[in-house]
Amino acid sequence: MSTAVLILLLAVVGGATYLFRYSMIGIFANRNLPAWLRKLCRYIAPASFAALTANALFVHGDKVALSLDAPKPWAALIAVIVAWRTGNVCATIGVGMAALYLLKLFF
Amino acid sequence: MTTTRPTKLSEFLAGCRDEAPLQLGVAPFGMLYSIAALAVGMPAWLVQLSSALVFAGSAQLAIVQMLSVAAGALPIGLTAGLLNLRHVLYSASVAEYVRHLPRRWRLLLAYLLTDEAYAVAILRYQRQAAASPTDLKDAAPGQSMPDLRHWYFLGCGFTLWTCWQLSTAAGLVFGARIPPEWDIDFAVPLTFLALLTLLVRERASQAAALAAGVGVLAFAPLPYNLGIVAAILAGLLVGFGVAKCRGDRP
Repeated sequence: MSTAVLILLLAVVGGATYLFRYSMIGIFANRNLPAWLRKLCRYIAPASFAALTANALFVHGDKVALSLDAPKPWAALIAVIVAWRTGNVCATIGVGMAALYLLKLFF
Repeated sequence: MTTTRPTKLSEFLAGCRDEAPLQLGVAPFGMLYSIAALAVGMPAWLVQLSSALVFAGSAQLAIVQMLSVAAGALPIGLTAGLLNLRHVLYSASVAEYVRHLPRRWRLLLAYLLTDEAYAVAILRYQRQAAASPTDLKDAAPGQSMPDLRHWYFLGCGFTLWTCWQLSTAAGLVFGARIPPEWDIDFAVPLTFLALLTLLVRERASQAAALAAGVGVLAFAPLPYNLGIVAAILAGLLVGFGVAKCRGDRP
């Protein structure tokens, strides 16, 4: 792909992304969110982050790999426990990475 | 409230402070993107420009990965676009909190509405909304407690934006020297995991998260990353349904 086409592509993707981000803020600037949408909004954050997490851990391209004889799922499990007990992002990432390095010695 | 009155600066700094730990996951992500982009032959200035224009890590990485297999502009655009479609939902989710702001604020905050900034900002908005439901009505000018949470949001967005640009630049400079055995990419799902556990403190949210997580696996074969959007929508419906069954109790 030529650099010119690539620049155009990036500008289009960037523009679309901005429009997505502004869309609902713009639409509901002068009117109320319908009640059903407001209720659905409560679950946007948990659903999005669960989807992103599961996607990052278990989906590779269009293939799903749920194998448990790899260190990453176990390191992720340890990280979840730390996150749940402490609510601390730094500790979660730190312990998760440390767990991965340790577990890699055993797998 | 008995605590000292928040100021614009204190809200902004609180946003920066709460966003900062997440940069442990954002920085490796930015560097990985840079390394991958250089490897497919993207010029360095364009790698950096893309971080400002697109400002969405997963889409930027997807573009680079598809360039490496010589995909066409149309499939790449579709994939990256659909990957970012979830931002429409984030936009809906913050809409009611930012509607009282001047347009220039809304335009700016929309630009900063990324995964990690959204997650931290929405926790702040929802926490305060739960404590005082009339909070938004109190936001009118001249009231005793002005709503300054957009400064918090700005702090989150600013911190993330700065880290994203710097880590992109760092990847351009130091990238080739990071050994792949370090698995720094694993910091990305760890960040999402940490955010997720903060977000699922009640039954309906847990159900929504579970459904979306399982949904991603079920919908993985869908083309152009449609699976992620489909999984999030499934999660929303399940959360909504569970809340309904439990009589909308939190």
